[in-house]
Amino acid sequence: EDALLPAPQNISILSINMKHFLSWSPVIIQGETVRYSVEFQGEYERDYVNESWIPICECSLTTATVCNITEDISATVAYNLRVRADIGTRRSEWGTLKGFFNRITTSLTPPLMKVIADGYHLLVELEDMGPAFQFCVFYWKKGQESRVQQKVVKEASSVVHLDTMEAGPDYCVKAQTYVEAINRSSSFSQTQCVRAQGGTSMCL
Amino acid sequence: TAGNRIFHFGHCRVSMSMTEIRLGFTAIKANIQARDPVRTVSILSHPHSLHKFKSSDRCCIAHHLFNFYVDKVFKHCKTEDSYINRKISSIANSFLSMKRKLRQCHEQNKCMCGEESTEKFKQILANYDGLNVTSAAMKSLGELDILLDWME
Amino acid sequence: SGVLCCSLPSPRNVHFESINMKNVLHWSPPEGTGHGVLYKVKYLVYGVGKWIRKPECRNINRTWCDLSSETSDYEDQYYASVKAFLNGMCSDWIETTRFNPLTDTKIDPPMVSVSSTEKSISVILTAPEKWKRSPEGESISLLQVYPGLQYNVSVLNKKTKKRWWFSISNNTLVVPRLEPGTPYCVSAQIRVTTPLLHSALSKEYCIVTLKDKTA
Repeated sequence: EDALLPAPQNISILSINMKHFLSWSPVIIQGETVRYSVEFQGEYERDYVNESWIPICECSLTTATVCNITEDISATVAYNLRVRADIGTRRSEWGTLKGFFNRITTSLTPPLMKVIADGYHLLVELEDMGPAFQFCVFYWKKGQESRVQQKVVKEASSVVHLDTMEAGPDYCVKAQTYVEAINRSSSFSQTQCVRAQGGTSMCL
Repeated sequence: TAGNRIFHFGHCRVSMSMTEIRLGFTAIKANIQARDPVRTVSILSHPHSLHKFKSSDRCCIAHHLFNFYVDKVFKHCKTEDSYINRKISSIANSFLSMKRKLRQCHEQNKCMCGEESTEKFKQILANYDGLNVTSAAMKSLGELDILLDWME
Repeated sequence: SGVLCCSLPSPRNVHFESINMKNVLHWSPPEGTGHGVLYKVKYLVYGVGKWIRKPECRNINRTWCDLSSETSDYEDQYYASVKAFLNGMCSDWIETTRFNPLTDTKIDPPMVSVSSTEKSISVILTAPEKWKRSPEGESISLLQVYPGLQYNVSVLNKKTKKRWWFSISNNTLVVPRLEPGTPYCVSAQIRVTTPLLHSALSKEYCIVTLKDKTA
């Protein structure tokens, strides 16, 4: 029987803004092309379907050492993940991620935001971060920090009208993302202030 | 909170996100329903629609139905299609986390089961047991939008 | 009736086309058949025991049949089926996939009416109505069918070419402090979050803010 291949090591998850990637160290066999296959197991499979595993076909017999598992990590439960190596008929044991992965731990970055004053109108343009994301936009008259108003923006693909401004005071705006599926928000973006009739000043 | 839907089942209030389940089901609906040749029998809607029940019974029915899908349905829906299996896994795991949320209401006695809802759930189990397990499970999975429409 | 069945090719692409829950069954003629093909239609409420013939669509030569009345209860789901006849031959019954009026209908854009003053425009939006049997019938707005219905409204300043978007739940929008004597064009779209539905964008309704009397 061929010598057993070493199982992939250093298996880890990188999860940012609800995009989840599994990566591992390459198995080096001189003169050989090593291929890898990835499988996942949700809490349901563990508790109700005899701890079965489900293959991710986009990452079956791949030469890459990273796999986008976002599509399959689509519930807020604890997932197990594993990888094995193949060279022709030779196959390694499974290398399994240490501990579970739950998408609730994804790191949420503040949204890219551009605040615009168009005449007397306060507008905001937000980076499109995908369907899982909404944005909470907070705005207030400078100096009236206690009277903050909030608007939820569900789609970010355009210039969104926040409010009509009075001439004179600066209006300041900050935003955070909100992910309904995990009921979590990012930290706030940097505050930006503008004044009616144009002119953008950056608040430090 | 800004967007998580609050579902009212009588006295029980649960914050849940249904969007992903809807998207998952929409992706496999035609395939799953095509595997169910029996047009004249429904697991969830026979003899009465879920919509018939008063709000005080809603929590009990929802609680029972989540358990029904998790305990009896998803595990018998394995197909030859890897894409379908992955979507079913996604829905099943989402149901698991929602089942947990509904259990909180049950434990806080906000999920009382009246005679009507108990009877209805018995009927659903009878409808299910009236078919062989794979057909019954596939039919139940194909009726997921009936449950989702009723919940929303 | 001595008809040799199942030797005629079947109707193709049998499906519901639904707009605001006006649910019309459509199909294409059997392959290779010219004129003279007649059709029969039946439908079934999913989970209920029997197929029901549609008399108004019996021996018809058109390739559609309005089943709005029969499928108006959107708490139910439905199947429909078509059979073709030609020169004494007939086809098999061909069925649709399961039709769920609530999730499978398309929604028209809202009606938009715009008025203006010197420095503001007012927009009133009206969601389309659910199909009804007769003009005298009770009007049901799709707002009642989809409680989570929202409007996305686009306001375009034709002079500066700048477009702003508003997302509103009620059906009125007032945009104050605009430029006098300036053309603005408004269009709107309906969005429902669960189930996930959205209309196309309405056509643009343009209006010019009044001239500044003091200027």
